[in-house]
Amino acid sequence: MMELINRVFGSRLGSKDDAKARLKLLLVHDQVDLSPAQLDSMKAEIIEVIGRYVEIDRDSVDFKLERSNGEIALVSNVPVRRVVARAV
Amino acid sequence: MSECIVITSGKGGVGKTTTSANLSVSLAMMGHKVAVVDADIGLRNLDVILGLENRIVYDLVHVIEGECRLKQALIRDKRLENLFLLPAAQTRDKSAVNPDQMRKLVEQLKAEFDYVVIDCPAGIEQGFKNSIAGADKAIIVTTPEVSAIRDADRIIGLVEAAELPEPRLIINRFRQKMVDRGDMLNKDDILEILAIPLIGVVPDHEDIIVSANRGAPVAFDDTSVVGEAYRRIARRVSGEADVPFVALQPVGFWENVKRWMGLSAKAGV
Ligand SMILES: Nc1ncnc2c1ncn2[C@@H]1O[C@H](COP(=O)(O)OP(=O)(O)OP(=O)(O)O)[C@@H](O)[C@H]1O
Ligand SMILES: [Mg+2]
Repeated sequence: MMELINRVFGSRLGSKDDAKARLKLLLVHDQVDLSPAQLDSMKAEIIEVIGRYVEIDRDSVDFKLERSNGEIALVSNVPVRRVVARAV
Repeated sequence: MSECIVITSGKGGVGKTTTSANLSVSLAMMGHKVAVVDADIGLRNLDVILGLENRIVYDLVHVIEGECRLKQALIRDKRLENLFLLPAAQTRDKSAVNPDQMRKLVEQLKAEFDYVVIDCPAGIEQGFKNSIAGADKAIIVTTPEVSAIRDADRIIGLVEAAELPEPRLIINRFRQKMVDRGDMLNKDDILEILAIPLIGVVPDHEDIIVSANRGAPVAFDDTSVVGEAYRRIARRVSGEADVPFVALQPVGFWENVKRWMGLSAKAGV
């Protein structure tokens, strides 16, 4: 109820939202054991491969490791500008 | 059919010993024959929480090293004749015992008791490995805090890797008022993150400290909301289905009045 009032009146979010967001990230990294730097280089390589087939908007590519129900997933959103003719 | 349940958490100080004592008392009050084992070798506490510290002659390490028989080391509770404590050694350390020895000890205890409850030390090393060695099931204790939940997640992974089926969760030191104002993770937040079944929510409550002072676990107090929380956990542990979780209320004026008049507080969890 208080939570609702807080939201409705646009006051600060409770600190539990910080806790939850931090935990989610923390647990993914604990489980996957990939550093942010490794994640970045994986992202660069994947983008590079995708870019060979389709033209993508590199600046709005979004890559995240997410966890739900104990399972980790690599969630990505790669906006495609247009499909380029495949150069074989 | 008897069962060994280990109470573990990863992070220290979140309530493993308090939980072990109260779960054991509650199970024994239901009529089960219960042995509770203090596996925190070198830092024994369970004896004090149960108020049995003056009766210790032998301990777990004596039994394992064959210096006494199991029966000699088991201390019968002063209030419940079907509750027994196997104390930890205070002057030794975790390396005095290995997982094989613990497994054998638990087998011996299971032959005599309906429930064997193991109070695991903090950490993920030897003491933890010893504690889960003979267990059939695990209960993970956490508090609604980032660090405790993170460690709980790690422990859940280790428990599952040790092939203990489906660990269950107790959320301890829960504060409804903080949850209401958005400053504490709620039940659903924690379950979403840890993804294991919940077996109880225990409020943060001064009754715990009072009962620790007296050496009489709060589960003995049938007017206490926290006591009720533990008794309900014990009912769930013993397989009773659909034991309700009732909304937790902060201790209010009327509850205090009722307690003062000796009426039992039926709010609970
Ligand atoms: N629900 C509660 N409300 C208030 N205080 C609590 C509650 N649960 C535990 N405590 C307090 O927290 C402290 C730690 O509890 P406890 O000894 O059970 O934790 P532990 O996990 O066994 O610790 P360790 O890792 O050192 O073995 C104690 O002082 C206890 O009284
Ligand atoms: Mg303890």
